[in-house]
Amino acid sequence: MNKLIALASVFFLVTGAAQAAVKVGEPAPAFTLPGSDGAPHALADYRGKYVVLEWTNHDCPFVKKHYGSGNMQAQQKELTGKGAAWLSIVSSAPGKQGHVDAVAAKDLTAKRNAAPTAVLLDPKGEVGKQYGAKTTPHMFLIGPDGKLLYMGGIDSIASTDADDIAKAKPYVKVALAEAMAGKPVTDASTKPYGCSVKYD
Amino acid sequence: MQSRATRMLAFRSERVLECDCCASEAERPMNLRAVVMAAALMAVAGAAPVGAAPVVTPHVEAELVAERNGWIAGSTNWVALRLEPEEGWHTYWRNPGDSGLPTTLAWTLPEGWKAGEISWPYPSRHKLGDLVNYGYDSEMLHLVPVDVPAGAEGEVTIKALAKWLVCSDICIPGQADVSLTLPVSEIATADPVWAQRFADTRARLPQAEPLAGAFTISDNEMRLQVDAVELAGSTSVEFYPFADDLVNHGAPQRVALSGSVARFAQERSAAFGEAPATVDGVLVVQGSSEKYAYTVSAAPGEVATVAAPVPPAALPAPAADAAVPDLWLALGFALLGGLILNLMPCVFPVLSIKAISVLESRRGDRKAERRHALAYTGGAVLSCAAVALAIILLREGGEQLGWGFQLQAPLFVAVLAYVVLALGLSLSGLVQFGTRLMGVGQGLVEQGGYSGSFFTGVLAVVVASPCTAPFMGTALGFALTQPLHVAVLVFATLGLGLALPFLLLGLFPALGAWLPRPGAWMETFKQVMAFPLYLTVVWLLWVLGRQAGGDAVALVMCGLVALAFALWLWSGGGRVRQALAVLAGLGAFAFLAHPAVTTPVAPMARPATVAVGQASKEPYSDARLAELRAAGRIVFVNFTADWCITCKVNEKVALGNERVLKLMAEKNVAWLEADWTTPDPAITEALGRFGRSGVPLYLLYGHEGEPEILPQILTPDIVIEAVNWVSSQERK
Repeated sequence: MNKLIALASVFFLVTGAAQAAVKVGEPAPAFTLPGSDGAPHALADYRGKYVVLEWTNHDCPFVKKHYGSGNMQAQQKELTGKGAAWLSIVSSAPGKQGHVDAVAAKDLTAKRNAAPTAVLLDPKGEVGKQYGAKTTPHMFLIGPDGKLLYMGGIDSIASTDADDIAKAKPYVKVALAEAMAGKPVTDASTKPYGCSVKYD
Repeated sequence: MQSRATRMLAFRSERVLECDCCASEAERPMNLRAVVMAAALMAVAGAAPVGAAPVVTPHVEAELVAERNGWIAGSTNWVALRLEPEEGWHTYWRNPGDSGLPTTLAWTLPEGWKAGEISWPYPSRHKLGDLVNYGYDSEMLHLVPVDVPAGAEGEVTIKALAKWLVCSDICIPGQADVSLTLPVSEIATADPVWAQRFADTRARLPQAEPLAGAFTISDNEMRLQVDAVELAGSTSVEFYPFADDLVNHGAPQRVALSGSVARFAQERSAAFGEAPATVDGVLVVQGSSEKYAYTVSAAPGEVATVAAPVPPAALPAPAADAAVPDLWLALGFALLGGLILNLMPCVFPVLSIKAISVLESRRGDRKAERRHALAYTGGAVLSCAAVALAIILLREGGEQLGWGFQLQAPLFVAVLAYVVLALGLSLSGLVQFGTRLMGVGQGLVEQGGYSGSFFTGVLAVVVASPCTAPFMGTALGFALTQPLHVAVLVFATLGLGLALPFLLLGLFPALGAWLPRPGAWMETFKQVMAFPLYLTVVWLLWVLGRQAGGDAVALVMCGLVALAFALWLWSGGGRVRQALAVLAGLGAFAFLAHPAVTTPVAPMARPATVAVGQASKEPYSDARLAELRAAGRIVFVNFTADWCITCKVNEKVALGNERVLKLMAEKNVAWLEADWTTPDPAITEALGRFGRSGVPLYLLYGHEGEPEILPQILTPDIVIEAVNWVSSQERK
């Protein structure tokens, strides 16, 4: 009988845990991941800076939309130019679409002329799940105080069509501009769109 | 893909042939005109009406099809985009869920033609890790109405650019230029191939007229309630919201379905912004054989949350090997609980009756003694088993019941008052049931035999139902999660435990050696024992008053007087008196039929029971509990019922204790009262979550995690210790 009660308790704990995902306005969970440069990168290393997290998978058509059109690279350059750190995170499990090792990740960056501060490898998906990253792309913006400012989509038009980029609201860019101007972020939480993150 | 395309071509030529058949079959005089027209049309068209061949794209085949073989000018014509994904792949519904994209159509139409929106058949859920998508994993027609203007003529082609996303574990965006050419015709008939598919698809379209509902959006979840006759008799329901940023689609959708009411709760989406004016979506209802879909449009309102279902793995496995230890434990608990039940205040008056009869029977032979003991045990065991059967069968019927449920019916309480009063009067000597030597209990039935002992056993169970003894709650809670025969076995064991002391006395008369010798004192003792029974009547009337109101009490008291009068008349002997007695008895029971007695008052109409010095009690609801916990309060939940004597004793002795109340005030403990005096499915459900089927249940929620479950018999120290412990945890 105690077993029953114990199981019921476990269940309550589990449902409680499920609600403890990241939230805008709360501290972003700490993590350390190996980068494609071979060095470990901790979120704490970037304290004092705005940090953009970009979940990515180079074979996903939604990611291709933004890299093929040059939109993602342009945002990386623009935002890092404003002093933000841009971390591209790959949470695809080995054998799944988009999985890369350090060498392949470097090649991709070079080939696509991308400009992230670092590309981080999360093949176990631990950080992805910690943040509740659902899609590629899925974007997060963290403030200099380590609190989450934005989470959600790269922009406002869910499609794989590059023609839509110009018409869409670029949420991350706008959020950073608003935060830097000391204003509250208008769209702080949006629905991300893209391929599912290819966790194990 | 190649073989599929070939098959489609073969299929297509069959269709042409079929049209030829139609023509030849139609060669009947009455259809002559139609034949001529058709022949003329065929001559004009040069071929049977055929859309462009399906477009084969990676993993999806797409084409535009029509319901009829010609356009009818001046009316709405139905066409459809047919998408057929390869096995293991799916396309998306209007709300794709956590990822994905809905299929779109961009039309190129002749002047004056108009295409409407896609009518979406209800989707199915596709789970991908933590994500859930809504879509179609087999051929699906996306129906679209096309308005053809009145002046249209000749052969007309409509074109569309269809775009979709097709996914398995990876996704591929696809698109196709699809077109459809049909002649405008007065006599266009159902397309032999597609008309049936259109009809099949319409069966999957949600009914357009929306069902009304209510929704609440709390800090962490969206809750929806729909109460509609359309849901009655359904075995399961699912809700598919239209908005993609309302709920976390991957989170479990908790559903409570009872009769015509369905309640849903699902974690809120991380992207949730402002509360919408309405929550709209599709309800898919599993009927006895088929699924039906309805549109739902819910307005803001109050909706209670839905308990997380205990996953099947968390329940004791029904497999024999795994169930044995749990079952034995439950049986042990039931036996022990039944035994302890003998010490509970509610059974006491009946036990005194039994004690008297045991003493009296000691004058008789041992064989008779044994039989009386067995009959008594039989009564207790069988009536417990009957209660189990009743609870489980009624539960199957959708009722929410548990131990003591019969006391939730005012009529049952009134009848019990009658029985107890009759017993009391018999002990007082007003009436003599049967012969004195045979004991009093059997007086309820005809004279002699062992039926008296049997019914004393039944009566013991009946009056025991307002009590819960330690161990009992868990045993019975377990029983109700088990197959019928196991449940009955556990309940029967409880009856055995209840009867055990007298059973042992009967079987082993030596045990009775310490009992006082029978004598003249017993008459006095019997008369004294009548008074606890009268008090029991008072208590039952009080319960009745709270359930059905003051009028009911007055009526039942009149009935009690009539009953006493009837019994007095009867005991006097003589035909006239006995005839009058029957009349008076009938009169007594006539009072019970009054609607004031049989109808419980609404729970909100009942004033809350307020223990001495306790000011801040609130009625229990899952929503209020969540709210208080979110506010960081410690919450005490008291699951109670007015007819539950154990509860009332605990409330008086422990919960009403000054030290306890002071401490609760000090620690700012919120007190929620879950009153089960009259039936309340929400409370039964909450009890079930803790494996219980009856009251009392005491929960103490700390700042986080699961609540402390306090014992069923409380002392002030138990409560104080628990409150102190929980609040010390909180400080961490």
